[in-house]
Amino acid sequence: MQEATFLILTALADGAQHGYGIITEVAQISGGRVKLRAGTLYTALDRLRVDGLIGVDREEVVEGRLRRYYLLTPEGTKVLAAEAARLHANATAALTRLRPGLAGGVA
Amino acid sequence: MSRQAAADTERLERGYRRVLACYPRSFRADSEDEILAVLLATASEGQARVGWAEAWDLIRGAVRMRLWPAAARPRAVRAAVKLMLAGAAAELAAVITVVVTASTVRAAVAARYPTAAHAATTHQVFVLVAAPVAIAMWLWLAWANGRGEDWARLLSAASLGLFSLLMLGNLSEHAATYAPADMIAAAIVWALGLVAVALIFTPQAWRYYRPVLVKQ
Repeated sequence: MQEATFLILTALADGAQHGYGIITEVAQISGGRVKLRAGTLYTALDRLRVDGLIGVDREEVVEGRLRRYYLLTPEGTKVLAAEAARLHANATAALTRLRPGLAGGVA
Repeated sequence: MSRQAAADTERLERGYRRVLACYPRSFRADSEDEILAVLLATASEGQARVGWAEAWDLIRGAVRMRLWPAAARPRAVRAAVKLMLAGAAAELAAVITVVVTASTVRAAVAARYPTAAHAATTHQVFVLVAAPVAIAMWLWLAWANGRGEDWARLLSAASLGLFSLLMLGNLSEHAATYAPADMIAAAIVWALGLVAVALIFTPQAWRYYRPVLVKQ
């Protein structure tokens, strides 16, 4: 899973968001490191919708423009949880192996 | 909002719409206004032109959507695409058969239908010339059908019809008696086409070729 996709799913993990909301959430989650652009976001959303990982929660018209709120489907929740567990396991393994070296290096 | 700011926003919106025109029609019908709202929301203060990085990101997205459409291909369409690729391979095998059996066929025709000998040679030359076109056509139709182009589906059916007529023409000229190997090869190619066309006209495939657009 690409990092952008992972972060988009993470942004939706605690509730529905609209497009611009996802961009600000992703920036926040990544500590300002990942600034999603609209093209990247909508290409990913298109694919995630077709794959059934996200769905449309509701639509609103704000200032004459359609605003769609996306949310994780049960399948999306499962996929995100599995990916998070995988990344966590990898990160833990890396940190465990680095620890002796880090201890020496930092001291 | 000042008049200048409003004019800038309007100009920016026109610029974004021009770039968004690169996206597939189904995507634009579904999401153009939505993505436009996001673009305008993320634009910087007083911005009147589409930035290079933004334009690049949008065009990249459009190219990705066009080359690798996300729409899940129904099994029938996936099978049809594979059959069409197999059709291109079978066409190649059929041409090789024609080349390999050319002298045998000419001898058989000369022995039984001396008057048709010239016509048989002409036919063999025609097959050699037409084959690369036919192979290219198979590959092209496989690609276009995979993308869910409705015209490709109709063109596939029309090509099958034309091919069927050519086959019937050959059979009426007793091709089956003097060039049995060639006719068997052609029949295999034809059968692949028939099944592929049948698959892309199944109800499952209809929804892929003619998706119902979300109206706003």
